[in-house]
Amino acid sequence: MERLVNSLRVRLIGVVLVILAALVPPLYLGVSAIVREGYAERFVNSLRVYSRLMADELEALEEQDLDRRAVALLDSAVLSGQVLFAEIRDGTRVLHSSIATAPIRVPAQDDFYLGDHNDQVYFITHTVNRGDHSMTLRLGFDEVPTRESIAAAERRVLMAMGIFVAASIAVAVWLSAVIARPMVRLQLAAQRVAGGDTHTQLRVYSSIREVQELNYHLEHMRRELVGANERLSREIREREVSEEKRLDLERRLLHRERIATIGTLAGGVAHEFNNIMTPILLYSQLAAEEVPAEDALADYLRRVIAAAHRARSLVMRILTFSRGMDSQQPTVFPLRVPVEEALALLREIVPTNIEIVLAAPDQTLPVRGDASLVHQVVINLCTNAYEAMRQSGGRLTVTLGTIENPPESQVRPGCYHVLEVSDTGHGIDPLVLAHVFEPFFTTREVGEGTGLGLSVVHGIVSSMGGVITVRSTVGSGTTFSVYLPAATRQLQEAAAAASTGA
Amino acid sequence: MRRLLTLLLILSLVAPARPASQAVVLVVGADSPAIEMDSVSVRKLFLGVPVLVNGKPLHPLRNRSDPLLDEIFFQQIVAMSQSSYDRQILIGVNRQGWLRPEEYSRVEDVVAALNADPNAVSYMWQRDVGHNPKIRVIRVVWSD
Repeated sequence: MERLVNSLRVRLIGVVLVILAALVPPLYLGVSAIVREGYAERFVNSLRVYSRLMADELEALEEQDLDRRAVALLDSAVLSGQVLFAEIRDGTRVLHSSIATAPIRVPAQDDFYLGDHNDQVYFITHTVNRGDHSMTLRLGFDEVPTRESIAAAERRVLMAMGIFVAASIAVAVWLSAVIARPMVRLQLAAQRVAGGDTHTQLRVYSSIREVQELNYHLEHMRRELVGANERLSREIREREVSEEKRLDLERRLLHRERIATIGTLAGGVAHEFNNIMTPILLYSQLAAEEVPAEDALADYLRRVIAAAHRARSLVMRILTFSRGMDSQQPTVFPLRVPVEEALALLREIVPTNIEIVLAAPDQTLPVRGDASLVHQVVINLCTNAYEAMRQSGGRLTVTLGTIENPPESQVRPGCYHVLEVSDTGHGIDPLVLAHVFEPFFTTREVGEGTGLGLSVVHGIVSSMGGVITVRSTVGSGTTFSVYLPAATRQLQEAAAAASTGA
Repeated sequence: MRRLLTLLLILSLVAPARPASQAVVLVVGADSPAIEMDSVSVRKLFLGVPVLVNGKPLHPLRNRSDPLLDEIFFQQIVAMSQSSYDRQILIGVNRQGWLRPEEYSRVEDVVAALNADPNAVSYMWQRDVGHNPKIRVIRVVWSD
């Protein structure tokens, strides 16, 4: 009910009804009063003039045959159709019209207004001076025709008022519809926008200027809202991406720190261990020189020396990892060269059920670092790939290329040369994948692997300012991607320096 | 019978007494040259038309001391409605240059004006004239 009362249309119509209720009754009464007074004024004026003329006529009548002439005058008045009563009094003598009239009640006093004495007859008396004496002329005029005319006029006024009221209500209904329809459309459109459909345009066609302006401002607000929403959504997405990057960097930083800590620890242990191994190897070799070759002890010593060499090799690998592979002076070299050398070596030792494919462009792909370390990286990665396909066979693909701004989040924007090593082996479990670069982490049987291969690769790539990533699908294979910063500019500078020196 | 007589006595006491016969008369000052005027002259006079007596114009005075007297004036003297009379007066004043009748709201003022101007003509109730020797009745305008 409150919603109905508050609606614009009901209010408009209500206001019009209230105005009509306040204005129409007094307007009707006022117009009726003017009509009544107009008719009454005309009636009274005409009968006063008429009766005065009658009195003047009577006053001017000659004395001879006065009665007959007076009665004729009264007959003339009655025959006019407006006079219902006509009488002349001359002392005790009373003269009436010879024409019979309907009997009416004759009041003692004269009338001065239409409807006076409420007898439907307007009585008027004139004193007629005739020389030595006076007479009175009394006439009664029929008020009924005038009253009927007034009633008819009032009915016409009432009818006009009714038509006016009906027309006003119709106009109010139409006007309220004209005003309210675009407002309702705007309201529905605004509801849709509020419900989330912000792309619905608030477009309402109306000839009312205020509605047009309201529509314009609402549409402007909607567009602002849409723009703000889009900006907000974009900012939220950017924040989510940057948050993901931050978490990833944090994770990588922790990982690097962990690797670095382990590397430092391992380096310290390896250094001490190397110091211990040096006398063991030295004295074992001296002892072996003192013992005859066919002696069983010589065989034992050779085994000790071999084990000491393996231990020393292991220590050297640990030291290589922990020292950050910076033992060599970095140079700019073509990436393709150490890769091809490593693959040539691998083709000699890999079984024939594993196909080795190199996909490389013709460019030189210069990178800065130690070529022998890149050689070791390729050997390590390909060895892992070969191990993954040793039972089933498959394809080992080495791909070289260049990429600008790699999509991986951990790689900073820039130009990189990419070395990818892919296999079609059994893949790596996601739980294992998170730890593959950690030192001493291995899934191989005890004695088959040291868990240092990929951590050494990681250390080499990091020392060259690169990044290594891995993606794997269990059952489909694994791909290691090594991003090394392109050294095209350095290569050009080196070439320029060489030509200048020459 | 006795009851009927008692009822008639009560009714005669309760019923409003019929007013005494009254009349409106046309009056002039005692020194006025006007002796007699017919109804047309009276009407002309109060409609502003110049009416001469002995070469001098008469001056109409409207007596507005009583509303009923006003109605009798319109009905018996000028024989028209009030609005018609006002219209006629306006036409006479504006088009013909006639004079509008002077108006007085008190009988005493009317009497004083009549005494002051021998050419003045007015009307009043017969009872207001009484036996005033300074006023002379020249015509009965209306009698009840």
